[in-house]
Amino acid sequence: MRDRSFTPSRMLIYLVVVLVAVAWLVPLIVVILNSLRSNEEIAQTSMIGWPLKWAFGNYLTAWSDFCVAQTCAGIRPYMLNSALVTIPATIFSTLLGAVAGYAISLWRFRGDQWIYGIVTLGIFLPQQMRLLPWTIVLRDTGLMNTLTGLVAIHTIQGLSFTVLFCRNYYVSIPQELIRAARIDGAGFFRIFWRIILPLSPPILVVTIIWQFTHIWNEFLYGVTFTTGQQQPVTAALIALSAAVADIPQHGVQSAAVMIAALPTLLIYLIGGKYFVRGLTAGAVK
Amino acid sequence: MPITTTRRRLLAGAAATLALPSFARAQGVKPRLTAISQWSAGSDGAAITALGKKFEEKGGIWQHSPVPGFTTEMMNKLRAQIIAGDPPACSQLKGPEIAAWSKIAPTVNLDSVVAAAGYEKVVAPDLAKLHKPGGKWIALPLQIYSTNMLFLSKRAMDKAKADKVPVTWADFNELAEKMKSGGVTYPIANGGTRPDDGQKFEASLAGISPTAYRAAIMNLDKKALEGPEVKAAFAQTRKIADWMDPNVGAQPFATNAKRFIDGDMGMMIQGGWAQGVLRNAGFKLEDFIITPGPSDNSKPVFLLNADAFIFWERKEPDLQAGQALMAKLVMDPAIQTMYSQITGSIPVRTDVDLSGEGWSDGQRRTAAALKDAVANNQAVLSLAHNMAQENGLTAAMIDVLTEYVKNKTIKPEQAATRLAEAVEGAR
Repeated sequence: MRDRSFTPSRMLIYLVVVLVAVAWLVPLIVVILNSLRSNEEIAQTSMIGWPLKWAFGNYLTAWSDFCVAQTCAGIRPYMLNSALVTIPATIFSTLLGAVAGYAISLWRFRGDQWIYGIVTLGIFLPQQMRLLPWTIVLRDTGLMNTLTGLVAIHTIQGLSFTVLFCRNYYVSIPQELIRAARIDGAGFFRIFWRIILPLSPPILVVTIIWQFTHIWNEFLYGVTFTTGQQQPVTAALIALSAAVADIPQHGVQSAAVMIAALPTLLIYLIGGKYFVRGLTAGAVK
Repeated sequence: MPITTTRRRLLAGAAATLALPSFARAQGVKPRLTAISQWSAGSDGAAITALGKKFEEKGGIWQHSPVPGFTTEMMNKLRAQIIAGDPPACSQLKGPEIAAWSKIAPTVNLDSVVAAAGYEKVVAPDLAKLHKPGGKWIALPLQIYSTNMLFLSKRAMDKAKADKVPVTWADFNELAEKMKSGGVTYPIANGGTRPDDGQKFEASLAGISPTAYRAAIMNLDKKALEGPEVKAAFAQTRKIADWMDPNVGAQPFATNAKRFIDGDMGMMIQGGWAQGVLRNAGFKLEDFIITPGPSDNSKPVFLLNADAFIFWERKEPDLQAGQALMAKLVMDPAIQTMYSQITGSIPVRTDVDLSGEGWSDGQRRTAAALKDAVANNQAVLSLAHNMAQENGLTAAMIDVLTEYVKNKTIKPEQAATRLAEAVEGAR
């Protein structure tokens, strides 16, 4: 058998893949290197360069030392805030999306397509457009400046995506399965629990990755609807970098970015192999 | 909208006058201040925290919630708090936005506090006007930056064999040419951000004619916008752009600090804040010279950028007492000194003595330039830093400027027409 890795077309594919990977990874490498260089070193040489002296202290400063206004606790407390918003909002929106997607795809009822269309319309509404309506909702529910308010917003807004994903996935489940279960006397929730949910891991992983990444990285609502010590990690990162009339803290910034990116990176590493599989499921139907 | 606005403003005025005596009444309570600003980290964060410490020393409760990010984020937060019926007792706001926002919610009339402190006499007139829309003080400026200071690299000057600091644009152009032929790769060290491009144009126009700047940029006079000075300013901006590194992308100017100090780049047209950036990056004061931006009539032209606090009406006696205390502190020369020494700006008060320790040469020169410029009526409001026009108009105008800096096929005459059209369209 011929060694396939030496055919010219294979080589070409590898070359292209490697080039694309390098192009994608260069910014990350610059950030990693800068996270290990002192601010002074970066300012006096160049943004791109090998560390002359390893500045591991950047990570300590980023994690627990740098000041946002009068609080000098690094990004640690803000990481916790982000987790307190992201985890519940991801779970709620995924579960609700699964139930709704299941109802729309397998329990056809009058106007189901309309409901599906209206819910997914949320995908196309820009964030800024929803800012004032949410302000009014939070004011009237008394949830302004609370993390609960943010969880509610992200759960409801997340439904647009989670319903879309789950509905498209469940649509490929044969109706016969549901009918058989109904003949056996199973109801809406029992079928969901016993039949649909066990079939769902690929799509649930996709929605969890999607929701987690988006909510974790969200800035606008996070900074508008919280105050002081409750702000999410994105706000703390921006605090480090937005000062125009100030010394750029590239070293500490890069370290903070690396730390803040860890949770989403972990989620991808754990669930990544399901991502493409789940995303394309039902796409051909 | 306009009808309700005027009614609201009337109500606001009435409520504010009612609120004032309660400053006195509120003596018994512990003053408390809720404040929002975009100053969260770095020297900006350190300065406002130091102000908070002073507030606490005077027996107050300081509740500052920074909104990290740029002005837009801070305004989103402010809008949300106002809609929720819970505006902060005081918030950071600057330029014409003070007048615009004062129509949305009732503000506090600070006239009597300002009069008691004799503050109006020591504030540049154009600046004072911004903080008293409708004739009443509702906001207080805190610190000033000039956006058109000229920074010269000592090493680039040596390469050009030049020792004279340029005063007019002709001097400036001559020096840039000398630098170029002396082996300086780019005579201008620049950044690629929108305000950076805007600063190049505003420095050109104000330096050519402060009168034309006032008419065209501050008063949006159509004839002035398409007048010869604006065209000349665009031509000067093109010269500057030709001397800049085109590969800067959208990076901040600080990226080029090293090349500037090394003499690979020659001059920066920047705000006074650049001094702090250079110093904190570990460069020495001997490595560069700071001087007022070029001015064709040889007298300093000062492009004002000032930060301020606006005071929102609150019914709670402790917040009202906090507002009175805050107003007093912001106007206090000692507090302004402390604040500017942390951020690298200069005090709003023109009567603060900067000869003492703690001030840098750059700050002293900036303050002297402001005094001269005010005396000659040459202190004008910066467009690039949202002092001359409201945000929407500023954005439309900067669109034209930043495209002009980057697209060298646009002629100065075309640019002037485009600028006038952008103003017309955004109005």
